[in-house]
Amino acid sequence: MNEDLDKQLRQALRPVDPGEDFTARVLAQISAKPRSLRTHWRRAAWIPAALAASVLLVVAGVYEWQQRQKEAGLAARAQVVEALRVTSQKLDLAYRLINTSSRPPSDRDSGA
Amino acid sequence: MREAVGKLVGILLVLSLASLPVLAAAPPLGQLALPSLESLEPQAKVSVSISLDASLLAVAAQFLDSGQPEDRAVKDVIAGLQGVYVRSFTFDHAFVYPANAIDSLRKQLHTACWQSIMSVRKGKEDSTVDIFICQLQQKARGLAIIAVEPRELTIVNIVGAIDLDKLHRLEGHFGIPRLPEAK
Repeated sequence: MNEDLDKQLRQALRPVDPGEDFTARVLAQISAKPRSLRTHWRRAAWIPAALAASVLLVVAGVYEWQQRQKEAGLAARAQVVEALRVTSQKLDLAYRLINTSSRPPSDRDSGA
Repeated sequence: MREAVGKLVGILLVLSLASLPVLAAAPPLGQLALPSLESLEPQAKVSVSISLDASLLAVAAQFLDSGQPEDRAVKDVIAGLQGVYVRSFTFDHAFVYPANAIDSLRKQLHTACWQSIMSVRKGKEDSTVDIFICQLQQKARGLAIIAVEPRELTIVNIVGAIDLDKLHRLEGHFGIPRLPEAK
């Protein structure tokens, strides 16, 4: 029984040749680790850039909205002035028509 | 008896709630349903179509500088107005206007609060100007002007309490003609 166990252990823990490329693979893994870290930081560097771009986009959107509001406001202002101009013009026309129709006939009009 | 009263109250409540959207959509007193005159636009030399409701008037007021006397005067005129609607068409030659459209407008002015304050007809110049005012409880709620000239048709509807004295103060500014002093 003890001999069997001992045999099994020996079998399991026998020296195994890792192969010729083992060292090369270990070295490759070691050198790969810092590269992945660098990639990670490179990826993380996009976060502030993306945030800055988002902020810029929001600022541009707000500016565009304000510009449109301003244009709409100025157009409304111009329309108000135009509407009051037309209204006043027609009141003026009514005034002129009343004046000319109620004016007493002159000597020339009466044919004298 | 109590049940019947309860039912009646319920019915009244439902009816009043159902009428809310209708009331909300109703135009303010003094606002006319202006006829569609879009067909005149291609034939007109100059066409003006202005529709400013209360919200647009408020936006316009924001762009009037109270520090400037002229702007302040305009602001004073439009304060309290609920709408300004203008349709004006100028033609190169004498034009026959769509009588139906003008008649439908005149019909509206024979109802509710409207009363004619001035109607001038000058046969020689073939021009007519009708001015109506909508009044309720001694308060002006609207103004309407229909001016028909051989080459020009203008309809103005101002909704709200327009102060003509304030409008008078604008004369000589923004191209608004200066009226001769009344004698």
